[in-house]
Amino acid sequence: MDERPDKELIDEVLDGNTASFEPLVVKYQPRVFALARRYARRRDEVEDIVQTVFMKAYKKLSSYRGDAPFEHWLMRSATYTCYDFLRKHQRNREWNASDLSEEETDWLENIGEESTGETDREAAKSLVEKLLDGLKPDDRHIITLFELERKSVKEIAEITGFSESNVKVKTHRAREKMRKILATLAPEKYL
Amino acid sequence: MKNTDDILSKMLAETREIPVNDHVPYAFEKRIMAHINEAPVNLWDEWAGALWRAVVPCLGVLTLMAVLWKAPAESKPGQSEGSSAPAVAVHESVNEDLEGIVMLAIDPENPGLGQ
Repeated sequence: MDERPDKELIDEVLDGNTASFEPLVVKYQPRVFALARRYARRRDEVEDIVQTVFMKAYKKLSSYRGDAPFEHWLMRSATYTCYDFLRKHQRNREWNASDLSEEETDWLENIGEESTGETDREAAKSLVEKLLDGLKPDDRHIITLFELERKSVKEIAEITGFSESNVKVKTHRAREKMRKILATLAPEKYL
Repeated sequence: MKNTDDILSKMLAETREIPVNDHVPYAFEKRIMAHINEAPVNLWDEWAGALWRAVVPCLGVLTLMAVLWKAPAESKPGQSEGSSAPAVAVHESVNEDLEGIVMLAIDPENPGLGQ
């Protein structure tokens, strides 16, 4: 891996040496892939998001002023791109109890018990994805940032442009919606 | 009956425990670089960029011309004070206008800063 500082590579790209962008892609693509997988499940969709993130970064590299680490600038842009993806691919699929897999049903049945196995966690993740499918892009974006990416209210406010109090309200409402979807999704006997 | 809020919290907590999948497909960076190299050049962006880069040199030339224009007028010999006074006043007025234009170009939001 190219060990040169980001700033040096960026200056070279801006001077016309396109190849110097490749080490930046190699360095940051794992983080961008991880974020994209929070927003999309299909492999081709994830790859399209990551590609869009780096294409945009390349085109707008001259607007990077260097007053914050390049990683922050890139990840913020990646978050915008993921949100754009949500808006363009709004599905709002509604699931019902018959759509639950055996693992998901088991997870709901054994909710009170200690469950730390990998299968349990995967079932929980799958259930969360089903709940997220029922949310609007705004709500899904905020819940993903707050609950899964563990961003602070301040960070989310900076990313989304909402005020901090607005972020708090939106997060609370989005969680309420998830709770309602869960109540309709899961059979009454489990709740 | 279990509390849906508790269930949701547990569900989210277990989801967070799953290690982040940051796997990158083989040679994905090559794909991105190929797209970047194939991307058509946006002539409008290039033109706008060139114009923007030309702003500072143009201002430099403008300022230099203003200085050169003013200097010969001030050093003309054989002119009485009375006859040169209106000319100097006109020059000063023109230079103030010029300065205003230059300041507007440098800082459009606060053009009066340099006055």
